[in-house]
Amino acid sequence: MPAPAEAGRAPGPPDGGWGWVVVFGAFVSIGFAYAFPKGLAIFFKEIQDFFGTSYSEIAWVSSIMLATTYGAGPISSILVNRYGSRPVVMFGGLLCGVGMISAAFCTSILQLYICVGFITGFGLALNLQPSVIIIGKYFLKRRPIANGLAMAGSPVMLCTLAPLNQFLFDNFGWRGSFLILGAILLNCCVAGALFRPIGAGTAPVKTQVSKEEKDALKEKVIEDGPMEKKLEEEEGKDCFEKVNQYLDFSLFKHRGFLIYLIGNVLMFLGFFAPIVFLAPYAKHTGIDEYSAAFLLSILAIVDMVARPATGIVANSRWVRPRIQYFFSFAIAFNGACHLLCPLASGYTGLIVYSSFFGLAFGMVCAMLFETLMDLVGAARFTSAVGLVTIAECCTILLGPPIGGILIDTFGDYKYMFIKCGAVMVLAGTFLFIMNYYNYRMLAKEEKKRKIKEEDPKSVRTENEGKINWNKDSIQDGPELEPLREKREGVKKEMNGTNEV
Amino acid sequence: MTTQDSSQTQVNSVTKMQAGHESSGPDVVVQELKPASKESSHNVSEHEIVLIGASLEKNISLPSPTKVELICKLDENSNLKNPQVTWKKGSETISHTSKTQNSWAIQVTVSDSSQLGSYTCILKADKEITATFHLQVPKLEGKEKPIITYQGDRAVMVCKTEYEPKAWTWYMTNGTELAPIDKILHTDKFQIKRPSANVNRLEIFKLTKEDRGVYWCEASFELGNSLMRFELKVLSIAAPLKPFIAIVAEVAILVTTIVLYEVYSKKRGKGGKKEFDQIEQL
Repeated sequence: MPAPAEAGRAPGPPDGGWGWVVVFGAFVSIGFAYAFPKGLAIFFKEIQDFFGTSYSEIAWVSSIMLATTYGAGPISSILVNRYGSRPVVMFGGLLCGVGMISAAFCTSILQLYICVGFITGFGLALNLQPSVIIIGKYFLKRRPIANGLAMAGSPVMLCTLAPLNQFLFDNFGWRGSFLILGAILLNCCVAGALFRPIGAGTAPVKTQVSKEEKDALKEKVIEDGPMEKKLEEEEGKDCFEKVNQYLDFSLFKHRGFLIYLIGNVLMFLGFFAPIVFLAPYAKHTGIDEYSAAFLLSILAIVDMVARPATGIVANSRWVRPRIQYFFSFAIAFNGACHLLCPLASGYTGLIVYSSFFGLAFGMVCAMLFETLMDLVGAARFTSAVGLVTIAECCTILLGPPIGGILIDTFGDYKYMFIKCGAVMVLAGTFLFIMNYYNYRMLAKEEKKRKIKEEDPKSVRTENEGKINWNKDSIQDGPELEPLREKREGVKKEMNGTNEV
Repeated sequence: MTTQDSSQTQVNSVTKMQAGHESSGPDVVVQELKPASKESSHNVSEHEIVLIGASLEKNISLPSPTKVELICKLDENSNLKNPQVTWKKGSETISHTSKTQNSWAIQVTVSDSSQLGSYTCILKADKEITATFHLQVPKLEGKEKPIITYQGDRAVMVCKTEYEPKAWTWYMTNGTELAPIDKILHTDKFQIKRPSANVNRLEIFKLTKEDRGVYWCEASFELGNSLMRFELKVLSIAAPLKPFIAIVAEVAILVTTIVLYEVYSKKRGKGGKKEFDQIEQL
């Protein structure tokens, strides 16, 4: 009987085909989400003069935008759980556009906070999360590459937006630029349109249920029919389970998730501050403005190349099973760069630092979501990413100001670099040790489970599953979690893949 | 001889000062007649240029009358040995003192704008290198690029400087000449604010196309005035609207194309899938 075997075999996200188009859409979407707030900095001086405010009041625009983009993560996750990636991204793009267009007509700094900060920030949040989520739905074997390519959108967009913003500003002033940027942000809707819905569990559902359906309904095979029936059954769930359906709070009991959360929250304390202060530090050591800006360009270019390259490396046979170690190494490497920065002498030293920083930054960013997917599996990733981003939100916002306070107190940039480096090395070491522990526990649990399941059929399907994966040598560990979940229950799939 | 010369110049400047500024006359006379080197160690600001092989320049901003000492120093690593040193302002030679074996200095008392200008020290050996000090009134900071505004909106021009000036004035170019802005524009059309001593803001409301052109910000210092140019461009709302509509159209076209393509490929796919399922059943 083909049915059980089909149910047992990895249903497989496509790992290609339309998936690459989705990667391109995610590239655009993620690029806007990360690069847009940074690109706005060009307008701040002019806006500051126009409204007669201080620099810190203008900086709030950026902070509110960043805070909203990360803080609205859970809302984004809930919406994706409910409606799927595509409508959320298209709505997000629309919101961004509306936000910036209305910002063009603002007459006070408070209105700018709302239009640029909240509305556009929220729109970007609705762009970021679903883009990352849908990659997990389309890819499994080649997911690290897909993630690396999609995350490369950030530096590419930044390199494009920076001169574009300058050009728009020189020709249209800040109001006209905001209007045109609003239109450009509407392109996120285009990216969203590319996100064709796909359910990671649709295949086994169809093959299991459609067989019965065919017996009952003869020639009528409606693609979404079986899924719709299952959805109706779920209307009668109780409140707690409903909440869990939208945002999986049970993740807080998940060991891997907690490790990732603590490690990342710690890491973000020292992640962004060096970028913010790189140019001022260069100017402080006597380098002129254009050369200082060039350092950031070097960083962006190395970053651009590093992300897909890291994706390819992370996908390789040797790294993929131990991808958490690779991630910890990347974070520690990043920290080491910062610790060595004060030793950099002169412009050449800073160029070397920028290149290594770009490399390390790209490595971490490329694997940021990949490792989370690896730990919790594609099904629960939707909720996981929302919960993680809201936790990271606090430390991301705290990082640069703490760095600024250190610089102001000591009058020297090296303490800020030492602080960032130390925090990141600590985070990397923590993740390394805890993931070692996690891998061992997973191996133990795997053994226990095998001993429990005496059923020869399950053993066979398990082995089949293993054979499929051995091709890419995913021997043991977290990768089997998503497969196990798929086999365990159709209902669990519904939680993560309510895309009709 | 040196001190005689310097006191001579001081007396000259004193007479000039007396003619123009009677109120501060007596105090100044008392001060100036004393030998410069003694008391001026407190009030004199030193400016130094270190020369190695090439000619260098330095700008020095002086907001108010003061005494400056300009020093030309030859670096030890330079190829020039035992040069012949002359200090010049324009074509006029100024006598200098030799501070150390490799540095030479002049003292300049700047009491009005005639003492401003370029002072050059020329070092001549087998080749000639120069160091020039430009004594000038403080420069103003503004916007070099044109300020882009829209009809109906307001324009803001911010003029900044390092030192506090005595007065700020704004001008508009009326044809070829500069006219003060309060003479040309109505009072409710513009507003001048002074958020701090060093910063001055001109705001022009309810912009129209006629408001475009060149505006000047003038800061008056004791030693002279400094000007800054602002160019104002007033665009109509249609200007950014064209690219805006073009991009929105592009987005709409792309989204429609993608959706249509998907509907089309689903229809094709459905037909093919049915066949596949039927084959499976067999």
